[in-house]
Amino acid sequence: MKELQVLARKLLAEGSVGVVIGYEEGPHGVRPAFITRSEDAGRLVFDPRCVHNLATYLSPRRSVVKGLGKPAVVVKGCDARAVAGLLRESQLTRDDVVLIAVRCGGVMQHPAQHVDLRAETVADRCAGCDVREPHLFDFMVGEAPTAPPATDRREARIRELEAGSPADRWAFWQQELARCVRCHACRQACPMCFCERCVADKTQPGWIESSPHPRGNLAFHLTRAIHQAGRCVDCGECERACPAGIPLGLLNRKLALVVAERFGHHASDDPSVPAPIGSYASNDGQEFIL
Amino acid sequence: MDTLFITRENLAALTADLLASGTHVAAPTRASDAQTEYRYVTDFAQVRLDGSMPRRSLKELFLPPTEPLLRWRQHQGDVELQEVPTSFPPTVVLGARPCDAAAVDVLDRVMGWDYRDELWFGRRAATTVISLACPGVDDLCFCSAVGGSPESTRGADLLLTPVTDGYHVTVVTDKGRSLLSAHPSRFGALPASGPLPAGPRIPAPGPLPLGQIRTWLESNFDHPLWHEVALRCHGCGACASVCPTCHCFDIVDEPEGVDRGTRRRNWDTCQTSVFTLHASGHNPRHDQGARFRQRLMHKFSIYPDKFGEVLCTGCGRCARACPAGQDIVELLGRIGALAAGNGHEKVEA
Amino acid sequence: MNLYQPHLVRVTDVVDETADTRTLRLQFKDPSVAESFDFRAGQFGEYSAFGAGECTFCIASPPTRKGYIECTFKAVGKATNALRGLGVGDTMGFRGPYGNHFPLDRMEGASLVFIAGGIGLAPVRCVIWNVLDQRDRYGDVTIVYGARSVGDLVYKHELEDWAARTDVRLWQTVDPGGQTPDWHGEIGFVPAIVEKAAPTADNAYAVVCGPPIMIKFTLPVLAKLGFPPERVYTTLENRMKCGLGKCGRCNVGPVYVCKDGPVFSAAELAQLPAEF
Repeated sequence: MKELQVLARKLLAEGSVGVVIGYEEGPHGVRPAFITRSEDAGRLVFDPRCVHNLATYLSPRRSVVKGLGKPAVVVKGCDARAVAGLLRESQLTRDDVVLIAVRCGGVMQHPAQHVDLRAETVADRCAGCDVREPHLFDFMVGEAPTAPPATDRREARIRELEAGSPADRWAFWQQELARCVRCHACRQACPMCFCERCVADKTQPGWIESSPHPRGNLAFHLTRAIHQAGRCVDCGECERACPAGIPLGLLNRKLALVVAERFGHHASDDPSVPAPIGSYASNDGQEFIL
Repeated sequence: MDTLFITRENLAALTADLLASGTHVAAPTRASDAQTEYRYVTDFAQVRLDGSMPRRSLKELFLPPTEPLLRWRQHQGDVELQEVPTSFPPTVVLGARPCDAAAVDVLDRVMGWDYRDELWFGRRAATTVISLACPGVDDLCFCSAVGGSPESTRGADLLLTPVTDGYHVTVVTDKGRSLLSAHPSRFGALPASGPLPAGPRIPAPGPLPLGQIRTWLESNFDHPLWHEVALRCHGCGACASVCPTCHCFDIVDEPEGVDRGTRRRNWDTCQTSVFTLHASGHNPRHDQGARFRQRLMHKFSIYPDKFGEVLCTGCGRCARACPAGQDIVELLGRIGALAAGNGHEKVEA
Repeated sequence: MNLYQPHLVRVTDVVDETADTRTLRLQFKDPSVAESFDFRAGQFGEYSAFGAGECTFCIASPPTRKGYIECTFKAVGKATNALRGLGVGDTMGFRGPYGNHFPLDRMEGASLVFIAGGIGLAPVRCVIWNVLDQRDRYGDVTIVYGARSVGDLVYKHELEDWAARTDVRLWQTVDPGGQTPDWHGEIGFVPAIVEKAAPTADNAYAVVCGPPIMIKFTLPVLAKLGFPPERVYTTLENRMKCGLGKCGRCNVGPVYVCKDGPVFSAAELAQLPAEF
């Protein structure tokens, strides 16, 4: 990705950023890269294996990254939504970060060693993507992307769950969440879970039991899903990070659909669009109170 | 060690016998997302012996993700404690990976260090481990680099090696022998014919210079390497949860009513920011560099120092699970190179 | 019965040492445990308020006094606040004794210098009483103790006892500004008072415990006085859970504080990475 490398080299050489956060080739696939020297800019790549949401590294709690200085970060459209979220929620000011947006035609669901983007391998979340050319950026690189070859397989799964009885849905989630061991990878990888002290870690009072039993797991995951409602940018990192294969994206996606339906709100890559929790409209539904 | 033979049909029958007698059977199974995981089975049909790697290890059979330590009941300032059992129902693990079985043996060291953990050893005593020789999974496996092997019998009571029509059965321990004696009709003598079919094999990596790595770790506490690798680390503990040898745990009191509750131990990890956080707010490991370093040092410096061997059996799960692309084989290779003084190691400060 | 199951103990006395520091005196409910319980000065235990969790404190009473144990603590978190909510007659849990101990055998015949700050006096007080209960085994005993203010001094009645004794030389101090109009002790930080007291290092051991900053400035003073780091001891406070070497939490460099400590010499401490 020559254009990206040239840009990174320039930004570092002129000292306008202390680090370029992008992707590099690791020994077993691509992984996040932190380029601090212009001569290393050649390590930067971008291709459909680049699923990671690098906006997560902008979280103020990541002191090691902060120590590198002002970052430039490579963002796809979905990642730019996360940056917009961080801006919207005052975790970042616009001047604190340089955004290198990449035109993206979809990423792989299970990025492996080699690029292989087809309808069967593309990530579910890429279906219907309207930010293939991100709107929030300082620089734009990459070629105009074609639409990702995708069907949203999650739509069908969500409809299936919705069609089930409450007992069916309860049984499904009890079974899936039974595998959770509370490693919190979902939370740690999520760009919107930036709280310095997560409510699940509080002990006075202990709102959420830390034990990985059905009660504790349900409490944690439902709380996290509610906290993400309207904020989740559908980057899929939580589900990818989960070492137990729990389909967390379904919960977040469902709540996103609820928020869209009730408040007409989608997590937007425009930071000036207010968050649903911080604003109201006079025609917001109130049938649950009245 | 004796070697016998079991057909696949007899293995199924043996499993049925065990289940019928009330023995719990744990084996690799197919999970709802098509991955493999160790679970208790109710039927041999659920058992998956195709060489696929269970996403977590055997440690949860002996150190469950959450486990009661005691229960209490209070009444007007007085407390009554209810003990939890330290003897457990008989269990057979069918198809353990050699790296996972070896890991359980490695953990016996710390679990028996001066104080004997009755819960761990109670489960150990009740469990018979039947390992399945491994064809290698992918190039993230490195058991041979840390002193193990895909046919290791360490931690196993019996070892099955797949051949045409069935499995060679190597008797490793008396416990394994007892299982055979209890089900004599299922096992037979080795068939006279043919050598083992050599299935496709991932080339096994050569040994890592563990001694040199340990020495380097002990004298490079403040090396900029830690800061560099910590940059991409999320501090999540996915690595620790899938690791067969990570065993750190938390102890919590869980009220279940005004007057009663359970004290539990839960899996925990040094990777979280709150692991060493004092109530005063002081945190001796206050950044991810320090925390990432701790995991490596515990495995490759401290455990060998205390117990004579590394706290790792080379299964590669940490690298497979890590969402940020950390690669333990790469890291150990870099440390090995630094230790050997190869000098071309460029580390970004 | 598994190794994580505590003994039941009853609170028999509660003393508020300061506004935020409390001492509990505890007796084992099981008479056979009460009879047989023994420990060495410096060892710690896991004290629990059922429902809130376990806390790690040294055993603050000396092993020479049988029939009870004591702990002194500040209410800073969930479990310590729950302990603070207990009263005389209430039942709580105790697991222990764990860890190593001060090498009192080695210290016999030597002079002893005890230096403590604030609540850091608690583990030191255990050793002090152990020594005073066997006074003829030891040489000179010097105690330098200070706190931020008069109100922050712990074991105030025992300080009076020690001050009144002729076989102990006690220096008490408060930080500048922490004195009351009737304060007759020193005014100054503990390290400065140690320098003023200038105890001899000749055939002497020092036991130091207090806030990290106090220890940091006291160690050079002791070195200047001629105490070799092998004869200066302290006790580390570390986040712990199991207390017996399994859960991994208190691992610092090559040691487990709960097994190889919590008592360490300054020489041993110098070998540890700065992760405590």
